[in-house]
Amino acid sequence: MVHKSADQNLLGELRSVLGDRARDGDFELGLYSKDGSVLEGNPMIVCLPVNTEEVQQIVRICRKHDRPFLARGSGTGLAGGAVPVGDPVVIATAKMNKILEVDLQNRIAWVEPGVLNLDLSRELSPLGFHFAPDPSSQQVCSIGGNVANNSGGPHCLAYGVTSAHVVAIEVVLPDGRIAVLGDLTAETPGYDLRGIFVGSEGTMGVATKIAVRLTANPPEIRTLLLDFADVRDGAATVSAIIAAGLIPAALEMMDQRAIEIVEAFVNAGYPTEADAVLLVELDGLPGGVEHGVEVVRAVAARHHVGSVRVAADDAERDLLWKGRKNAFGAVARIKPDYYLHDTVVPRGKLVEVLEKVYRIADAHDLIAVNVFHAGDGNLHPILAYDSKEKGVLERVHAAGRAIITASIEAGGVLSGEHGIGLEKRDYMGMLFSAHDMATQDLVREAFDPDGLANPLKVLPSGSRCSDSFGQHVPDGAWV
Amino acid sequence: MMKLQFDLPISSEDLSSCVSCGLCLPHCPTYRVTQEEGSSPRGRIALMQRAHHEGVVDAEFVHFIDSCIQCRGCETACPAGVEFGSMMETTREALTTQTRYVPWWLRLGYRVLGSQGALLAASKLAAILQRLSLIPRSLGLPRIPLIQKRLMSSGTDVWLFTGCVMDAWMRDTHRAVQRVIESTGNAVAFPDKRAVCCGALHVHAGLGPDARRLATRTIEAFPGDNPILVDSAGCGAQLKEYGHLLGSDSARKFSERVFDVHEWLAQRIEDLPQVDLTPPRIAVQDPCHLRHAQRVHEAVYQVLGRYAEPIPVNDDGLCCGAGGAYATFHSQMASDVRDRKVDAIERIDAQEVASANPGCVLHLRSAGIAIRHPLEIVDALIRKGERSAGTA
Repeated sequence: MVHKSADQNLLGELRSVLGDRARDGDFELGLYSKDGSVLEGNPMIVCLPVNTEEVQQIVRICRKHDRPFLARGSGTGLAGGAVPVGDPVVIATAKMNKILEVDLQNRIAWVEPGVLNLDLSRELSPLGFHFAPDPSSQQVCSIGGNVANNSGGPHCLAYGVTSAHVVAIEVVLPDGRIAVLGDLTAETPGYDLRGIFVGSEGTMGVATKIAVRLTANPPEIRTLLLDFADVRDGAATVSAIIAAGLIPAALEMMDQRAIEIVEAFVNAGYPTEADAVLLVELDGLPGGVEHGVEVVRAVAARHHVGSVRVAADDAERDLLWKGRKNAFGAVARIKPDYYLHDTVVPRGKLVEVLEKVYRIADAHDLIAVNVFHAGDGNLHPILAYDSKEKGVLERVHAAGRAIITASIEAGGVLSGEHGIGLEKRDYMGMLFSAHDMATQDLVREAFDPDGLANPLKVLPSGSRCSDSFGQHVPDGAWV
Repeated sequence: MMKLQFDLPISSEDLSSCVSCGLCLPHCPTYRVTQEEGSSPRGRIALMQRAHHEGVVDAEFVHFIDSCIQCRGCETACPAGVEFGSMMETTREALTTQTRYVPWWLRLGYRVLGSQGALLAASKLAAILQRLSLIPRSLGLPRIPLIQKRLMSSGTDVWLFTGCVMDAWMRDTHRAVQRVIESTGNAVAFPDKRAVCCGALHVHAGLGPDARRLATRTIEAFPGDNPILVDSAGCGAQLKEYGHLLGSDSARKFSERVFDVHEWLAQRIEDLPQVDLTPPRIAVQDPCHLRHAQRVHEAVYQVLGRYAEPIPVNDDGLCCGAGGAYATFHSQMASDVRDRKVDAIERIDAQEVASANPGCVLHLRSAGIAIRHPLEIVDALIRKGERSAGTA
């Protein structure tokens, strides 16, 4: 790992604002060269601001030095969105972690971007509210990161993804100005700039304060674990539950390999001999929830369900969810590396695409683990591998490409919730025409005419003329 | 920054067992304070990977490695089962042998722990200085006794490990634990002075050879097959690690005989006397070495629950910052970590706090928390129950 040594003038100016919170130590820079994906970049300097004004100063100084910058939350992204490409300044917002205001009358809270998703919900819990998007990484991912990726999570099936839960954002724009996008009114006139910013993966500026919507905690919750001897029956049950008119709060599926690794971690009594399990959560008023449980039981029975276990209490429910939410990390129990895809397919095509995923993995001599948001057709095929095996990366890429092709051919899309970042960037052409991408790039350029905000992400190189920061893929990185 | 040659003897397989998902971050007390990667388990493993790969370290590396409290909260949070604690111990030992990571005066300090005579002499000196008000209260030392009554064995059913600092400063805790054990109809034996110190602090500091020497002596002090009970979570975790530390069959057999005293009592809960008292509300702080290392913290709730209403401190078992000798050498970080714990404790409506580790007790007590060993509370309640039964 070789870092380009820091521009001393740039470092000096950043230090004058941040003191020792502008870092250029060799070892420490390495720690900010990665996120939760397999890619790696090279930060030139890492900044650890504590407020909006500092972020603004950092952006202004970077602009003055024509130095790209990128914001980083908890570094749990799965698509390389926070991987520093082109020797940028990394603006780590983790220290900006205060809940600034809880406004129950407007049902919103203003929070700083470094607040952790689960910390926010726990803080709101005594008031009877929570923040609805709950990515699997919710115990560590930050609200700022959720905004950048328009993150989802199991409970987004019923409640909607981050975009539906962010009403306004204070942003340091790439030109160093501060703007508030969106507001607290129900309908904002004019273009929905807030909507454009959510999911823009740091390419349109740095979020410094976020007004999130508060969702009331449901009065009743039931969590069901259904096991199937055939993964196809499980997938068919998913479509049938929705077709029966029910929208569960969450509807998750895990295949046999996923069940095995998860059970080894949590000991929740997941049936390791089953071919697949569904984790179904119903919430709402008690009568409606009871009715939902009966519907799920009836539908599952028609699809050869093995057993239906209803979590007896909060502890059992938490344990089941702990298993589901730790599945990605637990893959290391099989192989030390994994490449995670995030395609979305129409629910009715789940069985077909899943079978293709297994065939593709077999054909490339790889292990596929499936644990995903079945309710909205958001697949998460994990290709587990050991990067020390010769030639394995080529196989992982070929298999990945085949999975994406199969998903798009089935009428699906490239990414459901993890973002495009660096990892999925060059697949964008499979979904969008050159014209589509050029148009998207015009939107980005309107926010960031100089191309300094998280460059080389989301849109493939060549879709804009200003993508010219040295090499497109850093040493040690691959796309 | 000056780079030093460094050979880190951890296998590539172990180092790559971390997929850097980051789920450990919120469970790391130093990350919670700093929100910096270098103070997180994921970051520290990345540092080890790089040092291993490049064969060099510098002061920055040492700083981040040294700031780890070794609470092992990351281990119970890790879905991949990464054995962070053992990797950190190996890294510290490599630093100690290959660099000047542990200075001579500190090595001397650790030697004192391994010598009962020196420790008692140092404690006596400290006790005198305390009475002359020459030791600042901010250090958080308990009132060290000037004269110590001997612990008296009552038989040979079970052993009770006494340890170094705890025996010198908190012998009354051992007496309370002895009475609770005896109330189940079992007699307690105390080891001779070969069992002077478990060596946990030495392992944490990277003083592997000292730790192994202490472990060998300790094993010799417990002949026979009877259970060895421990009332300090940190020592218990270490004694249970002897098999791994020494790698011998006899050490493994020894470790199998070791139980945290609550773990042992929970298995014979019906043998404990019953009392007729209104159970007081007691907040329970789970010591990291009971919850994350030994993973038997539930036993405290079972035993305490017979006499009181135990209420867990609602912070996912985050460390309190004591970390053996950590609070002494990283007082600012230890105090910042403790602030979070104190805040969580103060949210609970309880009469007092119980913690099954002497380090945690001393560290939290110096922040003004009313805190005792769980069995001191149990012992007091049993005696109170007996008195009220006697007068009724």
